[in-house]
Amino acid sequence: MKIGIISFAHMHASSYASVLNEMDGITLAGIADDNEERGKEYSELFKTSYYQHYQELLETDIDAVIVTSENSLHHQHVIAAAKAGKHVLCEKPLATNMKDMEEMVSVCEQNQVLLGTAFPVRFNTPVQQAKKMIDQGKLGEILAIKGSNRGTNPGGWFVDKAKSGGGAVLDHTVHVVDLMRWFTSAEVAEVYAEIGSVYTNLPIDDCGIITMEFTNGMFATLDCSWSRNASYPTWGDVTLDIIGSKGNLKVDAFSQKVDLYSDRDGVKWIGWGDDMDAGLIEDFIASIKEGRSPLASGHSGLKAAEAALAAYQSFEKKIPVKL
Amino acid sequence: MQKILLIGAGTMGMEHASSYNSMENVQLAGIVDIRKERAAQLTGQHDAKIFPTMEEALENLEQVDVIDICVPTFLHKEYVMKAADYGIDVICEKPLAYSLEDAKEMINYCDQKNVRLFVGHVVRFFPQYSKARELVLSGTIGDIGVVRTRRGGNFPAGWSDWYADNTKSGGIILDLIIHDFDFLRWTFGEVERVFAKGLTDRNIEHLDYALVTLVFKSGVIAHVEGTWAHQTFSSQFEFAGKSGIIEYDSLKEEPVLLSIRQPQEEEAGVPVPQSPLKKSPYQTELEHFLQCLRKDERPIVTAEDAYKAMEISAAAIHSLKTGLPVTLGSKGGEL
Repeated sequence: MKIGIISFAHMHASSYASVLNEMDGITLAGIADDNEERGKEYSELFKTSYYQHYQELLETDIDAVIVTSENSLHHQHVIAAAKAGKHVLCEKPLATNMKDMEEMVSVCEQNQVLLGTAFPVRFNTPVQQAKKMIDQGKLGEILAIKGSNRGTNPGGWFVDKAKSGGGAVLDHTVHVVDLMRWFTSAEVAEVYAEIGSVYTNLPIDDCGIITMEFTNGMFATLDCSWSRNASYPTWGDVTLDIIGSKGNLKVDAFSQKVDLYSDRDGVKWIGWGDDMDAGLIEDFIASIKEGRSPLASGHSGLKAAEAALAAYQSFEKKIPVKL
Repeated sequence: MQKILLIGAGTMGMEHASSYNSMENVQLAGIVDIRKERAAQLTGQHDAKIFPTMEEALENLEQVDVIDICVPTFLHKEYVMKAADYGIDVICEKPLAYSLEDAKEMINYCDQKNVRLFVGHVVRFFPQYSKARELVLSGTIGDIGVVRTRRGGNFPAGWSDWYADNTKSGGIILDLIIHDFDFLRWTFGEVERVFAKGLTDRNIEHLDYALVTLVFKSGVIAHVEGTWAHQTFSSQFEFAGKSGIIEYDSLKEEPVLLSIRQPQEEEAGVPVPQSPLKKSPYQTELEHFLQCLRKDERPIVTAEDAYKAMEISAAAIHSLKTGLPVTLGSKGGEL
């Protein structure tokens, strides 16, 4: 099977390319990037062909593409891939507005290609263990979830709203909302948000607390802030504290670590848990082979981003927004 | 010698009694509790006398300088008003009252009767909290974007299960996380807006949980978690500043941890870490209040502060009931 990658604008592209190159029976058949220098550099690194225009890559005999361009270009790239008959795995957030996302989902359906959203945290081994425990009913009824996906200011196009569609709220709400939906099979019913701009010195949202109600009656909050500073020992976190009628479950996706105190490298947490990106790519490949939806579909990507977009609306109006 | 009459020999009464019993020039003179055997455990080296009612205590004791009220919240008002009638200064446990109206009345009544009223917002006297506040205010971590606090553990066991009756305790938002509201207001000033979700209204037996977002007038966003849904008591906070982060987790603090090896047939006890200080935060707080009385000084936490913390709780409870954010100083938010 031949897979292409459209754009290395998002840093995850590198990790996905490494996974593809490690997999048996899979060829990383080409990289398209409108940034020639970047595109050529990574094509050489991953020993594959470089295309300046994504249309050229889509004209080849590849089976599928991974879209890791700037958020604002996801729509254009996914639609083009679907029309070329290529299955697509799209980086999160799926897109920057509802209309684009709805079109992406429906055009992929019409062209009978699979659309997956890159939610790698679903493939984090502790998160999968937690999902199993919830499915076994160990917690009883889920009453509340406190979540966090803190991070570091990513800089670059992420803090340019025209390219990213939004700051921390859009960037860091979708992973945990996706997990909340996946864990409970419930949908977000209402969103309230308090949002701030403190860490970046730029006119973009970089911190916030999102409060949600779900269709199963539970409530949840999420800290989506880019609040980890340079001296903090790690980039950020994904955590969920789940309160159930029979018990509680605490998930800290990246707590499998050793603590490093180095005169050369500073204080750092060095993770040793399983590689979740490998799980994401393997599932996407398997979904193509088996003709089934990827674990996190385009629809999942749309629903998670919908909550983030509602958070902006709520903060603007200072009221809870119903979905 | 300052002489104290303690009302209530419950959990907080025990903490206060043991604090008074460790002080010099302070005498725990009497304890009022209908549970004589419980009170008997707190009498200390001065052989505090035990009485079934406050009236009997005040008839029999020669000198009482301070009445310390450690009864359940819904009884605070009755005792504070009575103490004021006797013209005796009062220390009252937090929250000051069950309703804002009662709290206002208590504060005004003590003023009228020329009696001083102190409220036990003890978190201000926990050194990890006051130290973190100093660090924040000194600019060590720059401007703050988001603050997170967490507090809670088991559902509290109280006399006649009064915590389980929301009309007596006010649930977790009024009883427990008012500590964090007061601490955060002390650190960041007045609150602009409150949004809350919680289980208080769900009436699940012996379970309460709340997640409250505060926005301060300064723009700082705070996320306050209160839980009576966990097994072990703990408290946490995190200040995320522009140039640094301050974290604290009581569960990671184990300066002294005793684990006794048990024969296999016996059930092993859970080792409970202790965090010893020369003076407990309760003792530091009570000594401070007693000093304010002796020297006629303004306390670190005033009755007005206690009222303001209740206003935040009231706003959170109102938000929880209506599903809407509550702006402080606007209509709504009556307790």
